[in-house]
Amino acid sequence: MTRIPNRIEDLPTSTPRFIGKEVERVEDRQLLTGKTEFIDNVSLPGMLHCAILRSPNAHARIVSIDTSAAESMPGVMAVITGEDALRWTFPQQTVPEGWGTLSLATDRVRYVGEPVAAVAASSRYVAEDALEAIFVEYDPLPPVVDTEQAASAPPLYEDHDSNVVYQRKFTWGDVDAAFASADKVLTEKFRWHRLGANPLECNGVISEWDVVDGTVTARGSFQSQVNMGLLSAAALGLPSNKVRIISQPHGGSFGGKGGPRGTIITALLSRKAGGRPVKWIEDRMEYLAGGAGQSWDRYYEVSLALQSDGTITGLRVVLLDDLGASAEGFGAVSAAKPLAAFTGPYKIPVAEYDLTLVATNKLPQSPYRGMGPPPHNWVLEQMVDLAAVELGLDPGDIRRRNFIAKTAFPYTIPSGNEYDSGDYVAALDAVLEMSDYAALRREQEEARKQGRYLGIGLVNTIEPGVFDWNAYAIVGSQQTGVPEGATVAIDIMGKLVAKVGFSLEGQGQYTVICQLLADYFGVEMNDVRVLPQDSLAAPPHFGPGGSRLGVAITGAILGAADQLREKLLRVGAKLMQVQPEALELRDGMIRIPGVPEAQIPFAQVAATMLARSDLLPEGMDPNPQATYVWTAPGRTPADEHGRAKSYLTAANACHLVLVEVDVETAAVKILKYFIADDCGTRLNPATCEGMTQGGVAQGVGAALLEEYVYDDDGQLLTSTFMDYLLPTIYEVPMTEKRALVTPSPFTPLGAKGMGEGALHTTPAAVMCAINDALRPLGVKAHEVPASPKRLWALLQNAKA
Amino acid sequence: MPTPASRTIRVTVNGTAYERTVEPRLTLADFLRHDLTLPGTHVGCEHGVCGACTVLWNGRAVRSCIMLAVQVDGSHITTVEGLAVDGEINPIQQAFLENHGLQCGFCTPGFLITVTEMLEHNPDPSDEEIYDYLGGQICRCTGYQSILASVRAAIAKTKVSSAPS
Repeated sequence: MTRIPNRIEDLPTSTPRFIGKEVERVEDRQLLTGKTEFIDNVSLPGMLHCAILRSPNAHARIVSIDTSAAESMPGVMAVITGEDALRWTFPQQTVPEGWGTLSLATDRVRYVGEPVAAVAASSRYVAEDALEAIFVEYDPLPPVVDTEQAASAPPLYEDHDSNVVYQRKFTWGDVDAAFASADKVLTEKFRWHRLGANPLECNGVISEWDVVDGTVTARGSFQSQVNMGLLSAAALGLPSNKVRIISQPHGGSFGGKGGPRGTIITALLSRKAGGRPVKWIEDRMEYLAGGAGQSWDRYYEVSLALQSDGTITGLRVVLLDDLGASAEGFGAVSAAKPLAAFTGPYKIPVAEYDLTLVATNKLPQSPYRGMGPPPHNWVLEQMVDLAAVELGLDPGDIRRRNFIAKTAFPYTIPSGNEYDSGDYVAALDAVLEMSDYAALRREQEEARKQGRYLGIGLVNTIEPGVFDWNAYAIVGSQQTGVPEGATVAIDIMGKLVAKVGFSLEGQGQYTVICQLLADYFGVEMNDVRVLPQDSLAAPPHFGPGGSRLGVAITGAILGAADQLREKLLRVGAKLMQVQPEALELRDGMIRIPGVPEAQIPFAQVAATMLARSDLLPEGMDPNPQATYVWTAPGRTPADEHGRAKSYLTAANACHLVLVEVDVETAAVKILKYFIADDCGTRLNPATCEGMTQGGVAQGVGAALLEEYVYDDDGQLLTSTFMDYLLPTIYEVPMTEKRALVTPSPFTPLGAKGMGEGALHTTPAAVMCAINDALRPLGVKAHEVPASPKRLWALLQNAKA
Repeated sequence: MPTPASRTIRVTVNGTAYERTVEPRLTLADFLRHDLTLPGTHVGCEHGVCGACTVLWNGRAVRSCIMLAVQVDGSHITTVEGLAVDGEINPIQQAFLENHGLQCGFCTPGFLITVTEMLEHNPDPSDEEIYDYLGGQICRCTGYQSILASVRAAIAKTKVSSAPS
């Protein structure tokens, strides 16, 4: 039985020197000197360069494509169109099934930016020249752009009789009774516009199709290489073991580096070019219009059932989400994710989710950090604020009244997930104290006397961590569990190598591995080296995603370390002529407890395994190496209502933000920002703080700046960073943070998933603050982002 | 499409002199990254907004994605590869390392170069001046707080290292 410690104190070290400490990251020296091998830094012998011709129309039939002029240009080695995709590939995976296309359009384009043809040439410059020599005749069709009309618009797909991709109402408990017996019912509408991940590095891939072997090797900026391998193999019609994926370090992902389209297109070009490697580096305009960068295009109607004392007795959420032109990749998954924390930190006993997903002529949605809860949390928290106003309660007090008590864990919410642990009152109290909340309210009151509009947003959220496929059963997932493996090897000199199935992405997991193994074996972090393996060489893995990898890789590493420990004890027992049970590993020594002189360094025991077979126990596996595949314990398959123990951990946070809205210009300024955050044990506190602050930045972008805008013809109006606005240092507040620690009872070292939490929380906090500021003017800002244009219109309407 | 007439340019990058024949349309970023195999300069947007591709052109911070290689004929360029000496990172890089001033690290070369220019011109900038410099650089990971801490630490380090002994 492999033992994985639930507490840092249970590691085999007298004094942990690294884990739980703010150590420098092992990733950083390479990154700081420009040496890290991002995909566009890789060049292979004979490599060609791909450029992709994209649809200028939102909706059209393709009448003809003439590639002959492009094919005859010097330097052009291959040109592919939908015909090649039709001949050699299958439709990409979609969720739910049956709502997708091939990687290149065949007879019809369904969004601006959809790939129509691709070229492989001697350079990217030549390839882009060749795109201008491809002539496509389109017969435009009326585009479906209005989400609310999409259901009744002519179907985008011949094999579906409407544009409704998914529709179902989930009722968890007697919701009708809760609303019928409520003292008060509040109902409001909300709108969250499209935005998305925008990592600083766009997508990139180099594919090689070995035409003799029938295998494909693809290197790229892939978040989950095993997933990419399976999706690519399915689309290419190859057996899964014939597609090998090598994930390069990548310049951020935030969910979006998962679609196989680029891999399929470059693989086809490679096949057509006789097997030469073909590189495609997505540029930013491709990313914005046709990449994996658009998420959450949502219309909400939300109702709360309330008792007059502020107790929330029921929650109803009606969601209409515009998936765009297909459900490729993760499709409907992001609308299903809120099931993992549907009712937030509150003991709301019953809930209902009426979910409709439609297809339109816009870019298909992709995952973005948090997956689905950021909009969900905003509408829930905004409703709680409105309830407080309605009942004359303070926003902190109404939350406190409804929190799940810290003694109630593990706690099952109506939508089925179980929260592991938490102390929500402590987080609220911490923030009220840090911010001197009473003083802030006085400041707000004084400012209003001077005609200044300050607002306070005070919100609490749950971050489901360590994702599980069973959370997505309602949209077709049939798996439970997400394995993550690691191999740990000790060499003959006592140095350690850890082999894993993921590359660098920014969250510092290689550092965590070095911290863990250095403390486990009593060595320096520099004595541990982490090496990524490709998708076929690595143990079963998924990689980063759903706030899981910090916890999952800790489980895998500690599991492998425990198996190594058992081997070392067996050999040590032979050397010391005792029973293995008489020995322990501690501080890097195999030793007899309580007998100081009876000890051998673990490195010497490992070297014995490799170099002195004569000293080993009979039948001993002489390999100082172990592989362990961790998966979350206690997960359950979903029932017919989508209820499952899905995400293993429930981190929680309380954010308080003070904003000022200039009622003349409608500009929003963030004046102060406070965070109390509880993600259990912090493996590297500096990394946790960085994840939180980065999520705040993306949350500020979501609340105030970021928006993909399509016009009535389905043309994207925000196709550069001049129009799609990312937050800069001027917009992002420097936050005051406090770490609370309620360890998870269920996880390795008590850590909880925490990479997404601030993006779950900040948009809600900022929007609640804006609404608090403008309430005296009768303004309700229920549309995100609250851009100056939008707020200004609301202010003018309020005046009129 | 006719291939444009190529031109020969001479440029000193990180102290090394190069002579190369390039097409006039070749961007400076592509020239550095692919022709000179100095890929530490990263390209994030290709339209001059994100700042990841920032290099020093005769000591001035410029965006190499919206310049052409032929424009720098006869010039000195410094890229991120020119900051560390024999693998030893410099005080600015050290400050980013110690203060967790990076996550994915893709934007980092642009920040380092921008801070290098700032400290050349103003060894002791105020926070307002720091914001002025960093306001044109986009980081999608860190939320800037650790970058600001890194820059403040770099200022402290470089002040110490340049103080008269």
